[in-house]
Amino acid sequence: MFVNARAAPSESLRVGLTAVILADQAAFLTRWSDYLSARMGQRVVFVARESYQDILDLLFSEQLDAAWICGYPYVLHQHRLRLLASPLYQGKPLYQAYLIGRPDLAGSAWNWGALKGRVLAYADPLSNSGWLVAQAQMRAAGLTARDLRRSFFAHSHRNVAEAVASGLAQVGCIDGYVWETMRLQHMALIDSTRVLWRSDWFAFPPLVARVGDNNPALKALATTLQHMVDDSQGASLLQALNLSGFAPARVADFEPIRQLARQIGRVEL
Amino acid sequence: MLRRLPYRIQIPLGLALAVILSVLLVNLVSAQIAARNARQDILHTAQRVVALLAAQGRPLLFQDDTWRAFALVKSATTLLPEVAQPHARAALLDAQGRYLAGSDPLRLPTGVQALGTLQGGRLLPTASDTAKARLLGSPGGGVTLLEPVRSDDDQILGFVLVDIDAPAFKPDWSALAAPALIGAALAMLLLIPVGWFMGRKMARPIARTAQCIAEIGRGDVARVQQRLPSVTDPELQRIVGAVRQLLSEMMVRQANAQRALSAERLAAVGRITAAVAHEINNPLAGLITAVRTLRLHGDAPEQRQRSLDLIERGLEQIRTMATALLPQARVEDRCMTERDYEDVLTLARATAAQYFVELEGQIELLHALCVPSVVMRQVMLNLLLNAIKAAGQGGQVNTQLRSDEQRVRFTVMNTGGHLGAQELHQRLHTEDHNDPHGFGLWICHEFAVRFGGHFRTLEQSELLPPYATGLVFEMPNQARQVTDT
Repeated sequence: MFVNARAAPSESLRVGLTAVILADQAAFLTRWSDYLSARMGQRVVFVARESYQDILDLLFSEQLDAAWICGYPYVLHQHRLRLLASPLYQGKPLYQAYLIGRPDLAGSAWNWGALKGRVLAYADPLSNSGWLVAQAQMRAAGLTARDLRRSFFAHSHRNVAEAVASGLAQVGCIDGYVWETMRLQHMALIDSTRVLWRSDWFAFPPLVARVGDNNPALKALATTLQHMVDDSQGASLLQALNLSGFAPARVADFEPIRQLARQIGRVEL
Repeated sequence: MLRRLPYRIQIPLGLALAVILSVLLVNLVSAQIAARNARQDILHTAQRVVALLAAQGRPLLFQDDTWRAFALVKSATTLLPEVAQPHARAALLDAQGRYLAGSDPLRLPTGVQALGTLQGGRLLPTASDTAKARLLGSPGGGVTLLEPVRSDDDQILGFVLVDIDAPAFKPDWSALAAPALIGAALAMLLLIPVGWFMGRKMARPIARTAQCIAEIGRGDVARVQQRLPSVTDPELQRIVGAVRQLLSEMMVRQANAQRALSAERLAAVGRITAAVAHEINNPLAGLITAVRTLRLHGDAPEQRQRSLDLIERGLEQIRTMATALLPQARVEDRCMTERDYEDVLTLARATAAQYFVELEGQIELLHALCVPSVVMRQVMLNLLLNAIKAAGQGGQVNTQLRSDEQRVRFTVMNTGGHLGAQELHQRLHTEDHNDPHGFGLWICHEFAVRFGGHFRTLEQSELLPPYATGLVFEMPNQARQVTDT
């Protein structure tokens, strides 16, 4: 079930979704929530918001029980969050950040200095692939925000792809997993974009819960997610998500993101 | 060419042509009106789009939210008429007059200065010159609408720009023509069969009337009149009425002609009857004389034989004459001889004696004689008796029979009144055939015509004194043909 967070019944398990996946596919989310509800014996409802901050606010205000967020907000709020599960992409709990551009920019090896004077689209200020990675690279290239003609947040990875495809932005920072999934689904706007640059591997956006929330349903949710690969219906849902499965998440996997955050001075650790 | 076609084709074609012409004219006029109205419609819609963007774009300009500004201008542009959309663009500009987001980012690139620069061939005013809404036109017909977006405390947050190229205002002829053509096609689909039906219905009474007219003179008039159609159309009523009247008059004329023919036939029968009676009567006087002679001198064998021969030839003449007077009869006759001429003179002498008329006869045969004896005897007797009666008491009659290789000619002259060619013509062609004199002359004339001869009067210069009248009857001498063959 896919409902408004405030309207969900209290006995339901409320899971927040962000733009880390293509969360605007309502029919798929209904099938997924039905699947989880049937396996867990408890109603599972998905709550989607456009910005990462909105989901974090709902989670911290206990309007959500769990959330699928990016690794960057996790490291920012690690002391308040605990890991439930980590999605496996191509068999690993890892993904890459992409810098995409219009086809006329593709060709030679990308030089981040070429961003100067261009319009850059970010996904979200709390996105690792959609903001943090690019910030680190620009800093490394000696670029500041003033060197860009303009930059803006498109509020989702999908919108970043559309902004670049339409020409609103010349380059965009996007989750590599989302871009590949869009390409797999033959979305037309992908044809008007090219991958200019790929980052190192980072921990895939995890499912998290509040520290101190001992709701047993959260453990059941993690177990059910990890066993989706074991039945055909679960495997079919995973295929639609372009994921291999779910696995127990490890805090150590998020260290590279923590390093990036530290570089740009967003974490004190 | 259209006029040569039948009505059942001419009318639907004419209707279809009228529909097409009407559609073309209506389309032309409506296109002109539509072109005039379309510009106003597009401008009004563009002004509403500007108002919408100004209202909805204010928070986005305040937050500098390029993506949502882009989503807004893109959806707002779809409010413009569909035909104008490819030629129209909308954008939100920041306070410095740079594009924040445009509906067509490739033409309205984000971050690029718009105000105060040349955009699409138009120099836009600077941001400071755009304190109020502006409508800028271009020589080509395009327009640019500019409106500042202000905060609640009247600070300029940015601008709304809607740019419409000239082609957007041009009428879409194909779009205008499509419904007109569909309408015309539907109208033709309906009108062609209706027109065909109407044409056939209209043409049917005309065709029937024409058929009736064609049958005039060939068929029964009464039947033709019955076949004339009943019509309600005033024009057709006039035509059919005229034909009906013509037929009625023809029926009257035919009846009159039939009556006239019947009367003519009766008259002809009367004439033949009278002629037969006349021709029979003519030799009877001579035969009665012969009978009397026989009664008085029958003891003398020679006299008796002569009288009997005369009677026999006279009776034979009557029989043959009666047959010969029937136009369709084919009479077998012998060639005339000199004795026939003498018989005629003998038969006429009795009458001549009654009138004390001196009768002379000459015969001059330059060639063998061969003409139908009965005809020639009858002609000679007729003319001779007529001449005797015309000569009157104590008169003189002279006859001559002459033959040459070509013809046989009988001439009779008498004293008394003159009968000229004009009088003879009148006698022959008068309608009054009760005149006994006229019958004899008419018979002679008919024989002359029938046998290829001539019948005429002698001119004054041809007459010998003391004779006042002379008639000549000629027939081709068939002895020449017999000799030739």
